[in-house]
Amino acid sequence: MAYQPPKQGLVGQIVDVFVLLMLTVGALYIPLYLGLAGAAKTPAPIDNPTWEALGQNATEQQQWAALGITDPAAASDIITARFDYSFSWMALIVMTILVVGYFVLVVRLSDREYRDVIEERFGGRR
Amino acid sequence: MTTASVAASTQQDQRLQLLRVLGPGHVWALGVGIVLVGEYMGWNFSVGKGGMIAGLVACWLAGLLYTCVAMIDSEVTSTVAAAGGQYAQAKHIVGPLMAFNVGLFLVMAYTMLEAANAITVGFLLDAVAGMQGHSGLDQQPFIILTVMFLAWLNYRGVLATLTFNFVITAIAFVAIIVLFLSVQLGASAVQLDFSAITSEPLPYGWLGIIAALHFGLWYYLGIEGTCQAAEEVRSPARSLPYGTMAGIITLLMAATMTWYVCSGLIPWEYLGQAGTPLFDAARVTGNSGLMVLLFIGTIFSTLASANGCINDASRAWFSMGRDRYLPTWFGAVHPHHRTPYRSIVFLVPIALIFALGAPLDQVITFSILSGLLGYTFMTFNMIMFRRKWPLGSIKRGYVHPFHPLPAILLLVLCSATYFAVFLGYGTQLIAMMCFYIIASLWFHFWRYRFVRRGDQFTMPWPRPQAY
Amino acid sequence: MDFWNFLEYAAWALSVGFGAYLLIDLARIDSTYDNDLLTSSREGEIELTQERHQI
Repeated sequence: MAYQPPKQGLVGQIVDVFVLLMLTVGALYIPLYLGLAGAAKTPAPIDNPTWEALGQNATEQQQWAALGITDPAAASDIITARFDYSFSWMALIVMTILVVGYFVLVVRLSDREYRDVIEERFGGRR
Repeated sequence: MTTASVAASTQQDQRLQLLRVLGPGHVWALGVGIVLVGEYMGWNFSVGKGGMIAGLVACWLAGLLYTCVAMIDSEVTSTVAAAGGQYAQAKHIVGPLMAFNVGLFLVMAYTMLEAANAITVGFLLDAVAGMQGHSGLDQQPFIILTVMFLAWLNYRGVLATLTFNFVITAIAFVAIIVLFLSVQLGASAVQLDFSAITSEPLPYGWLGIIAALHFGLWYYLGIEGTCQAAEEVRSPARSLPYGTMAGIITLLMAATMTWYVCSGLIPWEYLGQAGTPLFDAARVTGNSGLMVLLFIGTIFSTLASANGCINDASRAWFSMGRDRYLPTWFGAVHPHHRTPYRSIVFLVPIALIFALGAPLDQVITFSILSGLLGYTFMTFNMIMFRRKWPLGSIKRGYVHPFHPLPAILLLVLCSATYFAVFLGYGTQLIAMMCFYIIASLWFHFWRYRFVRRGDQFTMPWPRPQAY
Repeated sequence: MDFWNFLEYAAWALSVGFGAYLLIDLARIDSTYDNDLLTSSREGEIELTQERHQI
């Protein structure tokens, strides 16, 4: 006997869409509100920046000028800024477990549902 | 076809279907159109994350990743021709919960990318207004107009939408070639300079190359969207592999040319944080013709991308509604235009929430991560597909070579990219994994009760092996 | 009030226009046609008519 799903009322449909929307907006905005988002570069300014001290050759100086920056001091922050790639192993392990665990969870639950689908579509096991 | 004749034909068979009018050119336009904006902005952050060489290595490694994606996708989608694309693949090959997740990946990745594009249009117009002496342009109306206009275009029919995409994508692609050739022929006032490659080869060491992969994806992100056209293509088994492969070849060429011109003309430190790298490269040449051309290219590529995203996100949402994964209300087809019109309209305010409320890099990271989860899914999807229906058991429009090497390679590159995203955006990654886990539990324990079991399997295939 | 201000207002007006078109047409179609007809699309019908999976 094929599975007959219950009929969902209008209110239920709206609630379902709303739940999904709230989840999405939450996932995007919660890290923002907690101030945990984003990677920033930190500049390491040097004293008396000149093009030579910043390691820019003659052609590169021309290029900076064409981009509207003729003063080495103005380019100094852009040139010396670097990312910080230090990370905690703990966080890496948490992330790995989450990603792998997520896929394992989804595939296993899917497989259970999939067997029902195949059974209903093709009939019981031969 | 006139409105009257459509109405007459729908009365005869009492069934509404999406209109099957597209050829391989439209598939190419859909795939490349979504992606090409990545060449005009975004990819260059990979140079910032690891230096010039890392930018190039990331460009080619990501190219390899996406060649695997294109091959795998072409094989599966030439066989499963349905509007949901990867969603329908997952439903037939892995199972309902996976399909629900893949559907969410698609809708999130494309809606977020659409929002990012709309933000960029506003930003560019503000910059141009600033150059003309008008400071403080209100960007909001332009962001809203971009989304509204493209939604309207999509609503009115798929053929016009993708023909429009074909034209503007082709112009944006030609603009890159023209810039490359003109610079080669000496149109630039400033010479190309690659001295940073020898003087500062890897400012962050080898770690920089992996970190650069995060934004290296930008050169190609979205090429897999060609699958969403499956139900509207005249001959899916032929057009989809053809359009997708032509698309990835186009992008590999465009990406390498873009890296070459931009790295040669712009100091890498500036390039690593530039908002519009190709436009900046044109500025460095000092040639006003090139500047205008690349400005047009930038605007067109963002529009093409947003347009393709609306198309793809609405197809995925529509397919989920049709299967009752979401309320069935969304599974409706417009009787005249034959588009999934309710889904298109519903996704407009969603895109606006993100375009008007969230910062660009957040939106982009959310989009990249959803894409990345989708690629990870493709690896085991492919292996299960060949296991459940070995070659010869069903007819495939295209069979990709060297299986399972591309799937394994794809998995390795995906893992490296997760690590790259983790360097810097670890919190978002964890927040998003939590989102998908909660959504999965919600689906499995609540929403799935409304889904008809056997009806989900719609392909006329034999029973899968070992089930 | 320069050219760019004018453009801002034009963009607002056009946005409202497109948005109104979408909503009005949606309401019109939904009230004219039966919902069962509108949601009658099924996945896989192309496959049944176009593709042959037997070898």
